Amino acid sequence: MTTTVLPSAARPRARRGGTRMRRRIAPYLFVLPFVAIFLAFSVYPLIFTARLSFTNWHGAGAAEWVGWDNYTYLLGSPAFWSSLGNSAVLWLLIVPIQIVLAVIVAVLLDSAKLRLRGMYRVAFIVPFVTPLVAVAQIWVVLFDQDHGAVNALLGLVGIPDVGWLTTSAWAKPTLALLFLWKTTGFIVIILLSGLQSIDRSMYEAADLDGASPIRQLWSITVPLLRRTIMFAVVLQTLAVFQMFAEPFVVTQGGPYNSTTTAGYYLYNHITRADLGTGAANSFLLVILVMILSLFFVRMLRAKD
Amino acid sequence: MNHHPKRRARGLAVAGALVATALTLTACGPDIGSGGSATASDRLQAPTSDQPEGEITIWDRSGDLYKVFDGVIADFNKKYPKITVHHEAVDINAKLQNTLITGTDVPDGVFLDDAMVSGYADHLWDLSDVLKPYLKDIAPQKVDANTVDGGIYGVPYDLNPGLLYYNAKALESVGIDASTIKTYDDLLAAARAYQKAKPGSHPIHLEQGGFLGQLQLEMFASQLGTSLADAKGKLRLDSPEYKQILTYLDTVQKEGLGTRAEYLGQSDIAEMEAGNEVFYPWAIWFSFAPQQLLKDTGGDWRAMELPAWKDGGARSGAMGGSSFVLPKDGKNSQLAWLFYKFLMYDEAGYSAVWGPSSTYPEGLNTSIPAYLPAADPSKPLFKPVPALGDQDLWKVATEAGKQIPAGTAIPSWWNASTDYLGTDLQKMYDGDLTPDQVIKDAGSSIQTNLIDRQ
Amino acid sequence: MTTTPTVLDGPSGAAPAAPSPADRIPPAPRKRRTRPRIGTQAFLLVLMVAFLAPVVWAIVSAFKPANDIIRDPLGFDPGSFTLDNFTAMFHDVPIAHGFLNTAIVLVVKGAITLFFAPLAAYAFAKYDFIGKNLIFGAVLITLMLPTIVLIIPLLLEMKTFGWVNTYQALILPGSVDAFAIFWMRQVISAVPDELLDAARVDGCGEFGIFWRVVVPVIRPGLAGLAVLTIMNIYNDFVWPVVAASSDRMATLQVVLSTLAQNITGNRIGADYATVTGELLAASSLALIPLLVLFIVLQRHFINGILAGSVKG
Repeated sequence: MTTTVLPSAARPRARRGGTRMRRRIAPYLFVLPFVAIFLAFSVYPLIFTARLSFTNWHGAGAAEWVGWDNYTYLLGSPAFWSSLGNSAVLWLLIVPIQIVLAVIVAVLLDSAKLRLRGMYRVAFIVPFVTPLVAVAQIWVVLFDQDHGAVNALLGLVGIPDVGWLTTSAWAKPTLALLFLWKTTGFIVIILLSGLQSIDRSMYEAADLDGASPIRQLWSITVPLLRRTIMFAVVLQTLAVFQMFAEPFVVTQGGPYNSTTTAGYYLYNHITRADLGTGAANSFLLVILVMILSLFFVRMLRAKD
Repeated sequence: MNHHPKRRARGLAVAGALVATALTLTACGPDIGSGGSATASDRLQAPTSDQPEGEITIWDRSGDLYKVFDGVIADFNKKYPKITVHHEAVDINAKLQNTLITGTDVPDGVFLDDAMVSGYADHLWDLSDVLKPYLKDIAPQKVDANTVDGGIYGVPYDLNPGLLYYNAKALESVGIDASTIKTYDDLLAAARAYQKAKPGSHPIHLEQGGFLGQLQLEMFASQLGTSLADAKGKLRLDSPEYKQILTYLDTVQKEGLGTRAEYLGQSDIAEMEAGNEVFYPWAIWFSFAPQQLLKDTGGDWRAMELPAWKDGGARSGAMGGSSFVLPKDGKNSQLAWLFYKFLMYDEAGYSAVWGPSSTYPEGLNTSIPAYLPAADPSKPLFKPVPALGDQDLWKVATEAGKQIPAGTAIPSWWNASTDYLGTDLQKMYDGDLTPDQVIKDAGSSIQTNLIDRQ
Repeated sequence: MTTTPTVLDGPSGAAPAAPSPADRIPPAPRKRRTRPRIGTQAFLLVLMVAFLAPVVWAIVSAFKPANDIIRDPLGFDPGSFTLDNFTAMFHDVPIAHGFLNTAIVLVVKGAITLFFAPLAAYAFAKYDFIGKNLIFGAVLITLMLPTIVLIIPLLLEMKTFGWVNTYQALILPGSVDAFAIFWMRQVISAVPDELLDAARVDGCGEFGIFWRVVVPVIRPGLAGLAVLTIMNIYNDFVWPVVAASSDRMATLQVVLSTLAQNITGNRIGADYATVTGELLAASSLALIPLLVLFIVLQRHFINGILAGSVKG
C-alpha cells in the first residue's frame, strides 16, 4: 500500500472523471445479475400469482374471473385459520425449547476437551445432513403405536401405549420432536460460534467472585449471546413457518388435519388442481410473511 | 430511510417502472384466459392404417403390476410389430398433474385410479367413439365411473368387486356357518356369536385410514346402487341408503364388534393372526393378505359374496378400480389406444394380464377384468388360490361382479372429499359423531368447500 | 458446582467488597478448558446417543434382509448381514443419476451463488444507488416466503421457456438467493471503509476493489456461506420434485422421495419391504457426502457463521 498521494493537479483530468463515472455505475452492474434472477424467478411469479388469485383456474382450459371470491372463501374457512394455528402451535413447541436446549448444550460443549468437542459437533450435525425422507420413515417406525420402540421403552416403566402419530393431541409434538432432532445440532453450532467471541476474562472474574455456573450463564453468557440467539430465533422461525416437507412425508397433514401447516394447506389446493384458491392462499401467506418480517427486522435493528 | 425527497421520488419512480414492466410481462406470460368447451374434435378416433407405426410412452405404477404389463408388451408387438412401447414406472399420483399442466413430456397412456379420472377430464381424450363397439360388454359400474358430462374418459381396466373374506377355520371352531350369512344383520349376529365364544375378539374389520375408509363406504353404497354424487354432481349423502350403511357401521363400533386398524398394517395383521379379527368385507384385492402376509392363518381364509343390505339385494359393490387414460397432449394417442385395446379386449391381451405369468405363476388374482366376456365365471383366467384353500376365487368374484349395480358416478372432487367425509367417518368410528352428524357435517362441508366452488 | 455461592446483586449489580483473604471461601477451581464434570459428560453423551440413534438404526437396517426390517425393526441378527438392499437399489433406483444431477446442480448453482451474491451484497453494503432500499426490502420479504408459494407460476414459467425437466430449471430459480444476499451484506458491512478507500486511491478499479480487497477479507464468511449453500442445494426437495422429476433429471432428494412415495402409496404391495430396504440403503449412501464435507470443513463453517451472525 503506497503512502504517497499525488497532488491533485498532477492527476490527469480524464482519469479522475472516468473513475467517478465507473464508481457510479459499478453498483448497478454488480447488482444486475442478482436483480435479473430475482425479477425473473421471484418477482414475476409473485405477480402472476396475484393475477391467478382472482380466477378459478383448474389447470386446463378457461380461467374465469371471480374477483375476491377466493379470498373471502379462505378468510371464512375454518381450515385456513386452523392451518395458521397449527403453524403457530408448532412454533411454540419448537423454538423456545430449541433455543434453551441449544444454549445449554453449546455452553457445555464449550467447556469440553478440544478433541471431544469436534466429535460432539459432528454427532450433533448428523441429523441435519441426513435426508429428510429417510428420517421420516424412521420416525414412522419408531413412533408406531403398537410396535414402535418408543412405546416399548415407555412400556418398560409401565406407561401404556401412546398414539404418537395417530392422535391429534400427540401428532404435533411428535412432528415438533422430529424438527427439533433434525435442526438443533445446527443451532448449537451457530451458538458455539457466538460463544467463541465472548471474552474469557469475564468468566475468570466471575469465578474469582465465586459465582455459580448457572449464575454466570444467566448474567454473562446469555446477554452477550443475545445477538446470536436472536439470529437463531429468526432463522428457526422462518424454518418453522415454511415447514412443509415434514408433515408431507410423515403425517400427510393428519391426523384430522392436526399437522396441516400453512404451507401444507396451500399444497393441498395445488394437488387438488384448485389453483385459483391456491394462488389466493399464497398471497395471504405473503402478506402474513411481510408483517412478520417487518416485525423481526425491526426487532433485530433495535438490538443494535 | 431516505431523507432526501428527491431521492425518494426517484426511488418510487423506479419502483413504479419495475412493477409496471412486470405487470405487462405477466400479460404475455402463460395463457390462462383462453380455452373453449369440449368439442367433437376432443374425441379420439382409431388409426386407419393396418400396420401403424410409431412410439408410445405408457405410464404405470411401479410394482408387480408394472412387471405384469411389461410382460404383455411382447404379445402386443406380435400383433403390431411396428409400434415401440416405452414402458415407464412412475409415481403417477405425484407427477401426472404437473405433467399435464405444463404439457411437457406427456405420456400417451396412463394407469389411473377411477376416482381421479373425472378430475383430469379436461386434459384427456373422449373415448366414446373408440369404445362404442365394446360399451355394452363392459361392467356398467366402470362405465359410470369413467363418464363425465356424457363423455367417456378412460378405458376401464379392472373390476374390483367387494367380497366378504372370513376366517373359515376360526368360525368353524366355534360352530358358525358362514354360508348362512346373507344380510348385514346376519353378519352382526354372527359377529356377536363369535365374540361370545371368544371373549376379547373384535370380529369385523373397521378401517382406520381416512381414504380407504371412505372407499369402503362407497363399496357399501355401490351395493345399494348409489354413490356420493350423481352424474350431475349433486350430493346424495343425505339419503336412506347412506343412513342405513352408517348406522350399521356405527353399530359395529358401538357394540365393540370392530377391530379398528389400518389396512394390512402391523396391528391389523396381528389381530387376524390371533383369530380376533375374522370378517373382512373388502375389495377382491384383499386376497393379497392371505397369500403374502398372513403366515399363521394363511389357508384358513375364504371368500364369499358380500351380505346384502336387504333380502335379495345385490351382494357386491365396487371398491376402487383403475382405468387407462389418454392425455390429449400425448404425441401418439391413437397408437396408445391400440395398446389398451389389445390389453383389454383381445383374448391374447387379457389372458396375458390375468393369466399365469413370471410375476404371478398362479395368475393375477387381485382383480377381474371389467370386460364381461373376459370375466366369464366358467372360464377362469387365474388359478384357484392355495392360500384360500384352493378356492375358485375367480368364480366367486366374477359372479359377484355381475351383481354390481349401475348408476354410481364418481365426482371430480371425490379425492378432496376424503378430507371431510373420510375424516368424519373416522370420528364416528372414534365414537365422537353419530351417523346423522356425519351426514350433516360432511354434507355441508362438501357442498361449501367443493361443490359450490367448481 | 456445589460451592456455596456468594450473592451477586443482580446481573449488573456490583459485587460486595471482597472479603479479606483470611475468611474468603477458597476460590472454585477454574473449570473452563479443564476436565468437565461427570454430569456434563453424561448429559452430552446421552444427547449424542439420542441424536445418532435413528440414523444408526437406518444404516444398520440397510444391511438387514428387507423382510426383517419390517417384521423386526429393532432386532439385529449378525448372521443375516446382507448387501441385498444395496444391490436391489442399484438395480431399481436411478441413484447414479441422482448423484450426478445433484453434483452438477451443486457445482453450477453453488458457483453462481458464491460469485454473484457477495458481489450484489457488496453493492448493497458499500454503495448508494437508486432503488437500493427498495430492492433490499424486497429481498427481505422473499427471504421468508415458503418455497411452495411460487411453485405453480414458476412451473408455468418453466414451461414457457421450455425448461421443464432441464438443468436450467434446477439451477436458475433461486440461484442467487435472498438469504445469501442478506448474510453477505452483514459480513461485508463489517469490512472497514478505509480499506476500500485506500484501494481506490491506489488506482484499483471498482471490481478490483471487490476482488482484491473485499473477497480476501471476507473469506471466513464466504466459507460459511459455501457450506450452507451446499447443504441447502443438496437437501432441496420441494422444487426439484416439481420441476425436474423425470428419472433422467432427478436429483438425489427426488430419487429418495419417489422411493418413499412407493412405500406410503404401496404399503400393501409385495414391494413394501423391498422398497423400504432400498430406501434405507439409498439414504445411507446419500448422507455420506454431506457428512464428510462437514467433518472436513467444520472449522471454516464455524468461523463463517461467526463472521456473519455476530455483527450487526
